[in-house]
Formats: sequence, structure tokens, C-alpha cells
Amino acid sequence: MGGLTAAQAPPAPSPRNPTVDLQLSNELPMATQAAVPFIEIEALRAKEFIPASKEALTSLIAEQGQAKLIRPMFNWSGRNSLFPLHWGLACCAIEFAAAFGARWDAERFGVVARSSPRQADLMIVNGTVTWKVAHKLITLYEQMAEPKWVIAMGNCATGGGPFRTAYSVVPGVDKLVPVDVYIAGCPPRPEALLDGILKLEQLIRERKE
Amino acid sequence: MQPDDLTRVLAPKLGENLLGVEAFEGMAGRVRFRREAALDLFRAVRDDLSFAHLSMVGGIDWVDHREVFYVAWSDSARQYVLLSTDVPATDAHVETASAVWPSANWHERETWELVDITFDHHPDLRHLLTPDGYAFHPLLRSFKIHEPEELEVKTRHV
Repeated sequence: MGGLTAAQAPPAPSPRNPTVDLQLSNELPMATQAAVPFIEIEALRAKEFIPASKEALTSLIAEQGQAKLIRPMFNWSGRNSLFPLHWGLACCAIEFAAAFGARWDAERFGVVARSSPRQADLMIVNGTVTWKVAHKLITLYEQMAEPKWVIAMGNCATGGGPFRTAYSVVPGVDKLVPVDVYIAGCPPRPEALLDGILKLEQLIRERKE
Repeated sequence: MQPDDLTRVLAPKLGENLLGVEAFEGMAGRVRFRREAALDLFRAVRDDLSFAHLSMVGGIDWVDHREVFYVAWSDSARQYVLLSTDVPATDAHVETASAVWPSANWHERETWELVDITFDHHPDLRHLLTPDGYAFHPLLRSFKIHEPEELEVKTRHV
């Protein structure tokens, strides 16, 4: 171990364990059993940090398994930076826009609308989907990089809404793309959209594979 | 502009293909014509009567026949005029107006797909509101409301 000697061995565990206060503690196994606890790594000098942290991570992976360590970290970063595609189909788009305004401020949840599907990992279908626009919607969905999620916002996207029997309307966007969260309402208020996004974050938290 | 003014200009140009000019509330009049003289009528209405702007084109399904109507606007007279012609349901086609008024292009595409009236010599007769290959003409009276699943299957596989 670079730089660490027996004299610098970790002291007795601090009464205040930083992992306990974090909400992540149950899903992100901290290096309590590792060769060098993280709290010690913080105290190291810079030239010692890299080899020490490398060793800590290596031993942690060997101990916990790669998937068990990487997956929670991946889920944590993913669900706290959901980037929805910035587009609108119908009146739900007005509520969508309001949710990103000053009053509801979706950005405090890390939700930032992106104008390109290649930068987005969440598609919020906010409005009536017609058969004319269906293949464009599928194209946009396929352009998004994995992992990706879909929220059907409002009654039209959920099941066709009042236009269910119309000649031109897709009766629910789940006929076209897999939907993770449905939001009822016509249109749903911005609070409902934010609630749907938080429900999706809960889904991502429980994601295993 | 009165119906008589319309008749005075249009009758020499169209002859027996002009079926009549009636008063129509809010407009200069309603001109009924045979579809054989459609292009002559459009040119006369635009050039001789100064209706330079075609406001809308539409179709009506009267079950035994279909009707195509055009609404044109004159800036100098500040009036609309309604032109209408009847076509048989089994042979529903009429000459396109888009050679005279280019704005007729999309209106005729819409009329074609919704009411199933073909416009001859149209430059670009494609679906406008419904997807390509859409199998229905939804504004015909014979169109039944489909179950969403049935419509989906038919729309996806045509």
C-alpha cells in the first residue's frame, strides 16, 4: 500500500459514521470493511490518494462483487439527473412547461429538459398521440440512449382520453413504446407531473439488472 | 357585389355549365356549376371578379352524391363567394384548383383523404392528416366508429 505504514493504521471507528446519515446507506455499501476506510482516504495527501483509493475500490469490488457496487451508484446518478426530451404534443405540454418554470421548478430534482433525444433519457409523452405522429414518436424514442424511460402524461397519452374512438388517435401510447409511469388528469397539474417523476425515481432506485 | 353581378360576368364564360347563382347570407352569392367547367370558372372568378384568395376547399357527403365547395375572398369587394359543384358518389373527382389558387393544394389533399373526392392533375395528392396508407375516409357517412383495437390493426398493416 503506497504511503501507508502500520503506524498510520486506521484508528478506532469514529462514533459518527458518515454512512449512517446518508439516504444511500442501504444501497451503496461504503468501505467500512475495506482496507482503507473512506474517512481515512479523505485525510490522505494527494499523492497517496490515488493508489489508496484504487486499492480500496479493488478490495471492495472483490468483496461485494462488481454488480452490487456499481449498480446502486449508477441508479443513484441516473435517477438524480433525469433529462426529459423537450417536446410537446398538446395541452399537457403547457403544464409540462409550467413544471419547469419558477413556481414548480422541476430542476431542483435534477430534471432538465434537453432538446435532443440523444441527450435525453426520459420521454414525457405530454398530449394526444395521433397515428400520423406515431412513427415520429417511435423514431425519437429509438434515438434516445439506454437506459431510457417513458412517462405517459395525461389521459390522452394513457388511453386516448376523450378521443379514444376517434379515427386518428392512438388509444394509449403504450401501444407504441413501453411506459413506466402513467399520470392521470386532463391535464395533470405540475404537482402531478413532479409526483410522477418521483415515482419513476423510486422505480429506478429498485432497478436490479 | 350581388348575385346578378356574378351572373353577368360568369354566364358568357361558362354557358350551360353555370347551373345558377343564388343569394347566400354573408357572401356575394353561391355559384353552382358543372364540374366540366371547373377550371374556366376558377379563372373567371379569380381574374374577372378579383377573388384573388382561396380561403377554403371542402367536401360534403350527401349519401346519394357528394358536393365540393370553394370559398374565395376578394380584397377589393371585401366579400366572400361560395362556389359549389355536385359529383356522383361512384365517380367522385373534379379538376384541381391548385393551378389557379396554389393555396388549394393542402385543402384538396385534406378533402381527398377525408371525403374521398379525387382532384385531377393535383401536383401532390398525398395524405395530409392521416398516416400514409390509411384505409379509411372518416368524414363519409358510411364510416363507422371503430373499436380502437380494430382501427389500430388496420392502420398499422395497410
